[in-house]
Amino acid sequence: MTTATEFAPAPRRSGIKEWIFTTDHKRIGILYLVGAMAAFVVAGIMGLGIRIEQMSPGESGLINYFVGDFAQTMTTGAAYNAALYFHGAAMILAFLIPALTGFAANYLVPLMIGAPDVAFPRINALSLWLFYAAILVALLTFVIPDKPDIMWTGYPPYSITTSANTAFYVFTVHLIGFASILGAVNFLITIIYMRAPGMGWNKMNMFVWTTFGAFVIQIVFVPVLAAAVTLLLLDKYVGTGFFDPTRGGDVLLYQNLFWFYSHPAVYVIFLPAIGLLFDIIATQAKNYIFNYKAAVYGGILGIVVITGEVWVHHLYIAGMPNWISIGMMVTTLLISVPVGLILISLWGTLYKGAITYNVSMWYAVVCLFLILAGGLTGIPLAITSLTVHLSETSFVHAHFHFIMGLMATFAVFAAVYHWFPKMTGRSADIPIAKIAFWFTVIGSQVTFLPLFLIGIKGMPRRYWDYAMFPEFEPYHLIATFGSALVAVGVTLMIVGWIYAAFRGPKVSTNPWNSKSLEWTHTESPPGPGNFQRPVRVDESWTPYNYN
Amino acid sequence: MRTFILSSAACLVVATLTCAILADDAHAQYFRKPASDLDPHIMLIDEEAVLGAKIDGQTLLIDQNGKEFRWAEMLGKPTILVLAYYTCDGSCSLINASLAGLLNDVKIVAPGPDFRILTLSFDRHDNLATTGAFRKHLDLVGPLNDHWTFATFKSEADLAAQTEKIGFKFFWSPEDRVFLHPGAFLFFSPEGRLIRVLYQGSVSGRDVELALLDAKQGQFRPGEVINFALSLCYSYSYQDGKYVLSIPIVIGLGALGIGLATLFGSMLFYKFSTRTKPTKDGSHAEAA
Amino acid sequence: MPKRLEMIVNLLGILLLSGEAAFAKATTGEIQSPTEAWNHTWDDVLWDLWIIGGVFTIVAVYLLIRYRARSPGAVGTARPLNLDMALAWALVPAAIFMADDFFLAAKGWSLWNIQRQVPRDAMEVKVTGYQWYFEYDYGNGITDSELVVPVGRPIVLRMTSKDVIHSFGLTEYRLKEDMMPGRVTYLWFYPEKPLETQVVCVEFCGTSHAEMYNKVRAVPKAEYDAWLSKKLERKKKAELRKSQAADDGANVEPAQ
Repeated sequence: MTTATEFAPAPRRSGIKEWIFTTDHKRIGILYLVGAMAAFVVAGIMGLGIRIEQMSPGESGLINYFVGDFAQTMTTGAAYNAALYFHGAAMILAFLIPALTGFAANYLVPLMIGAPDVAFPRINALSLWLFYAAILVALLTFVIPDKPDIMWTGYPPYSITTSANTAFYVFTVHLIGFASILGAVNFLITIIYMRAPGMGWNKMNMFVWTTFGAFVIQIVFVPVLAAAVTLLLLDKYVGTGFFDPTRGGDVLLYQNLFWFYSHPAVYVIFLPAIGLLFDIIATQAKNYIFNYKAAVYGGILGIVVITGEVWVHHLYIAGMPNWISIGMMVTTLLISVPVGLILISLWGTLYKGAITYNVSMWYAVVCLFLILAGGLTGIPLAITSLTVHLSETSFVHAHFHFIMGLMATFAVFAAVYHWFPKMTGRSADIPIAKIAFWFTVIGSQVTFLPLFLIGIKGMPRRYWDYAMFPEFEPYHLIATFGSALVAVGVTLMIVGWIYAAFRGPKVSTNPWNSKSLEWTHTESPPGPGNFQRPVRVDESWTPYNYN
Repeated sequence: MRTFILSSAACLVVATLTCAILADDAHAQYFRKPASDLDPHIMLIDEEAVLGAKIDGQTLLIDQNGKEFRWAEMLGKPTILVLAYYTCDGSCSLINASLAGLLNDVKIVAPGPDFRILTLSFDRHDNLATTGAFRKHLDLVGPLNDHWTFATFKSEADLAAQTEKIGFKFFWSPEDRVFLHPGAFLFFSPEGRLIRVLYQGSVSGRDVELALLDAKQGQFRPGEVINFALSLCYSYSYQDGKYVLSIPIVIGLGALGIGLATLFGSMLFYKFSTRTKPTKDGSHAEAA
Repeated sequence: MPKRLEMIVNLLGILLLSGEAAFAKATTGEIQSPTEAWNHTWDDVLWDLWIIGGVFTIVAVYLLIRYRARSPGAVGTARPLNLDMALAWALVPAAIFMADDFFLAAKGWSLWNIQRQVPRDAMEVKVTGYQWYFEYDYGNGITDSELVVPVGRPIVLRMTSKDVIHSFGLTEYRLKEDMMPGRVTYLWFYPEKPLETQVVCVEFCGTSHAEMYNKVRAVPKAEYDAWLSKKLERKKKAELRKSQAADDGANVEPAQ
């Protein structure tokens, strides 16, 4: 085996050019991570601003600075809405989806299946730069005077009648959507046709399977979202009346089209996050995936099949016909079956394992409890009649932050720590990472647990002021304190990553003694073409065969 | 060849635009203008104000046979209500006859099992004799005749209260010796709420059909799945007073189709492209 | 172990459900407040969540501690499941989860029926949403900016919006429903005792979304009647003034 240093990305002519014109999936993956983390930081700062504004009823005026309105020309409400729009849209469209289906999928899938690259490397590069274009369009929010304020959902008629800029929202969705579809085509074909000889479907890493599921969802549903927001654009700027009831439009139709994609989008985030956890936990527990086939065919594919039939649970209070609401309540609740199989498989993977703990594993362990808390709080929100009170409260807000904001995000962090030695040849498991871990994990709980409590009591979402609910002030105060802890933790974590990338302790090619191809068959970091010899796996091989 | 395509495309665009402008013109010219000196708008029902209003089921009515009944007895299914007066020899029989004509075009729902029709007089002078004469003049046949009730209000107070509740205005014009009133078809839900108002003259059988589906308020039986799907494909335009094809749903379905086509298309493309030959176990053959 | 516990929970749940059905039958004719029913259902569902969550948490903590690596280089000793076990571990949990789902769905549905079936003698108020206030129409041309209702009578709100989507959030009554332009929606509640609370807009509707709220007062019948007659009187006076002003205006205009 060669040592790590020999394959470190040695710039040949110009370092920057190498990266910009790269078609190498590993570099594209890292560039996705950089872009996604940049979006995460900016959107996180917006989140901090939101918490500061909500710390007490009445206006603080501070939120205007967060959205770049230094002259204080906007009202607090308008500035808050712009911050909220950016936070939601950027976290979902520019951080979670790109980090999981951009960074993780790009870096890991070809390595895990023993392929030299993805099927269409140039298309891969195109989708990366479309993603960067989308981030730029989103960032324009802070420059233009008419900042978008339509939330990431963009419901008409407000998104059409508002004087704010709806177009940039639509363009961001278009660019990300186009990037996603290209990525989906690329990865589905890569996974279907480019696995190493001998690697049957039942021998793939769990992460490869979840990526497969996520991209099937993307390719089928993204066009619907793109169509819906395009109609929004036409309504606002061309004067059509697709969603205008006086002209034969229907305001509810947009919500149906939007959630027809956007609920599955939750699984585009959830599935790869779970896949990362599976691979990290199996590696750290040195164990088989418990009941692999049930988790794959029942769990992952079960979710892919059910996910298109549950969107109306976002419209329970929108006056949909009873039988649709009740029918979709049942389908929504039935998601607990595939999710339950996945959870049992995750839990079972610990059984009779030999667990070693590091920062990556700590994050993974925290994720186990976050899935529980986030998943179980989803059950009342699946029940039509309970949702009547809970919808649009901070209970919903805390619920999806547990699943997406915490679980999926921590899964990304865990993945970065776990595959850091693969990407850089160095370990990021340094003391600062441990400190950052405690700040982030404790802070996130301090932030979101109070929101569950006041959500049950009826604190509405998307409120910059809550003069009518003065009794909720202590909760908001605690939550804001928690968000400050998270900010410290995330800052330390990113500083730790940057430090470790250049100065971290060098580690061996396979520091976790994993059996997965990306650790056993190539160097850290892998050179161009990934593997020096074509990979072939034998009958007894699986990525989880430790004993 | 290329110029031909370009020029025909241009022709097409111009033609479409012209049609659109002409149609718009015609629309502006003929749309919902009763032939009267009265401001037509005061004759229209202010839908925004009254949609969802519920008639009082306890209201006593008298049908063409002289039988007294409560309005609630007619509910439980969608109802089309026509308000008219029976001594009117012009517009009222025209309104009712036109509804009968439209209902002959309605195929997917049937009077009786799916909905009822009720004509009510707003003239307190109407009685059994005028009701009978009016009905005879209309000359209904078949299921329409069986499920179409012609009735009068028992009390004048109820007449005033119920017509006001649903925003129906009418005036006696002494010089013409007629009532001025809107030629409206009012669609009620099974529980007696006003769901839709259509105007005679500007609607087709399809509109009546869709309004009846709307009046079901989503309470479709499993066997009516096609009706439900149909009701999704159209939405009501308040401005035009009729149903129009819901373009977003067509585009949404098209987008879903594009998604599925991309999925399977790209798989086929890769399978048949010469770059890589998939082997039996689904993995790629290595380059030599 | 988790299986058995959940099975017991579900059996208990089914028993509870049948009990509740009997309860519902016993009280037919009486008005069931959707507010109380919500609280009741919420408590039951919460138990279900705590039990599932508790079982999974205890098992996770046990596994995480029990199966720490005892020596560096140790590997797990589990074997892949044989077919029977794999099927059992898929089908049994799936059956349990489905049983729980249907139990919860049935509970949710019965509450939904209460929430959506408006009692016959409900008093109707028309509510219209604007950016950024609610307008209440009590009939007879009386409109107001706050919702005042008599206690002891179910109230049904017929709702629509004139501009963007709003949502009528009656937090204290555990109810809400969207108000949309071009559509009519409804919501009913049952003020059983005098209560002063508020309604908040809970669907994002723009800059002042957070400032769109007003008082909701449930008052004794007599007080309500007095309030209503006062409103009626004031309205008549205003109309009188208006018509006088119009007459004055008519007199003035020709002079110009």
